[in-house]
Amino acid sequence: MDWKSSPHLQTFKLFALFVAVCLASFYLISSVLLPVLISITLYALFEPATLYLVRHKVNHSLSILIVLLFLVLTSLIAVGFALPALFDQVAVLQSKLPQIAQQLERFLTHYGEVISAEIGTDLDVSELTVTALTQFSSLGQSILINATNRVLDIVIIFILVPFLTYYLLKDFQRVRNNLMNWLPNSSFELGWVIYHNVTAQLKAYTRGVMLQSLIMAAVCAAGFTLIGLDIPLLLGCITGILNLVPYIGPIISMLIAALVGAAMTPFDPTLIYLGALVIVVAQIVDNVVVIPAVIANAVNLHPVQVILGIIIFGSLFGTLGVILAIPGIAAGKIVYNNLFADIQNASLKTGA
Amino acid sequence: MSNIFWSNIFRSGDSELRTIARLWQQTPLFKNIPERQTELLCGKMHRRRFKPGETVFSFGDQGAGAILVLEGSVRVMVNTTELALLEPGDFFGEIALAAAERRTADATAVSAAQLVYFLKQDLEEWIERQPRLGARFLMNLSATLAERLYRANDLIAQQ
Repeated sequence: MDWKSSPHLQTFKLFALFVAVCLASFYLISSVLLPVLISITLYALFEPATLYLVRHKVNHSLSILIVLLFLVLTSLIAVGFALPALFDQVAVLQSKLPQIAQQLERFLTHYGEVISAEIGTDLDVSELTVTALTQFSSLGQSILINATNRVLDIVIIFILVPFLTYYLLKDFQRVRNNLMNWLPNSSFELGWVIYHNVTAQLKAYTRGVMLQSLIMAAVCAAGFTLIGLDIPLLLGCITGILNLVPYIGPIISMLIAALVGAAMTPFDPTLIYLGALVIVVAQIVDNVVVIPAVIANAVNLHPVQVILGIIIFGSLFGTLGVILAIPGIAAGKIVYNNLFADIQNASLKTGA
Repeated sequence: MSNIFWSNIFRSGDSELRTIARLWQQTPLFKNIPERQTELLCGKMHRRRFKPGETVFSFGDQGAGAILVLEGSVRVMVNTTELALLEPGDFFGEIALAAAERRTADATAVSAAQLVYFLKQDLEEWIERQPRLGARFLMNLSATLAERLYRANDLIAQQ
């Protein structure tokens, strides 16, 4: 078979076009990408609640309003009660960053000397670690300062998200149908099959992963409180959010917990191990109970695909890319496989 | 004549919607489904126009749903054997509503045709809103598929 007419090459061309369209769309809405993504996530989370009310004879618009009212009230309660406590803990963490850096420096210098002695070279690990730590410390502080200073962004999100979520819940299906009508007859059914498969998987993934993060945050916050670690609520939330990034996220959260433990006065090394142990226990709970029950086969990706995807998406789109890596690859895989199946079927018929 | 600039080009006219609902109601799939619900569901279905000779779907394509002939006619064939010539009010491709299977025949528009797609996506979204009626519809779908199976078995037995 001529390589130019190979189904793989044709699929790749179409898939590249699809990716280019997606990237262009992301670029166009880049200024409001975060509120849009939050709204889409909320749409995926709250659509079943809206449909539940519709099934119980509540008018569709009223169902959406009830669900959104619940969302706004929950947010207000969070702002009123949880956020001040969380901000206090952010301030505590901010004040502890120099101590954390010092502890880390001491730790790395010690082990650097041990490694230097073992391999028999005169490695100046301490200088390297000091440079790295100065950068880490200033980066950490700037992240925290930025996070607390970006009040305007947060206000915009708080205003925009309920509006977008309302219209998504109300009109998404109609708008989607109108857009899908632009497909030519020859690709109409294929387009819908791909849409059906992608959305089914992404909805299951979004709902599963949100619940998983919530469970992880609760388990870790409770664990950190039990062992007497500082800022347990904030650490629990960070662990829950970092859990969105498989493999790498739990390691980072383990490091953060260990560092917070190391910065506590008086210095108690057992807290470092206990902090890490809490995350290990939470990971066991996650892998044995939560993942099989909640996420199951929502996305069926090989660990290598996941790691490579996180690295590539992360380097291209930053933090948001790291979070979007798994759903992005899962969706891309479905689109590619469906396109390939269709092109292969067509080429088999042409060949026959 | 409707003005394409001012009118909503995506919305089916009320009378056309009623025609689509009436045609679906005459099929075994919508047996005992209230007229009002059928109309609401038809409002979400997708109309497509096909030129004479244009392929509706081919053997092995991925099917997304059942198709109703609204205007024109469609020929359904396997290899060179004609299975059916479908006229307005006939429907085909309903297997795709039940299973993610590939199309088992070729379908081609014989004359300029207007077809109405009732997609699996539409069915699932409707079931989420109307589970009782959805269950009734699925029973009708099962009965229709069983009927087709009996007929296919009969044909094989006769050969």
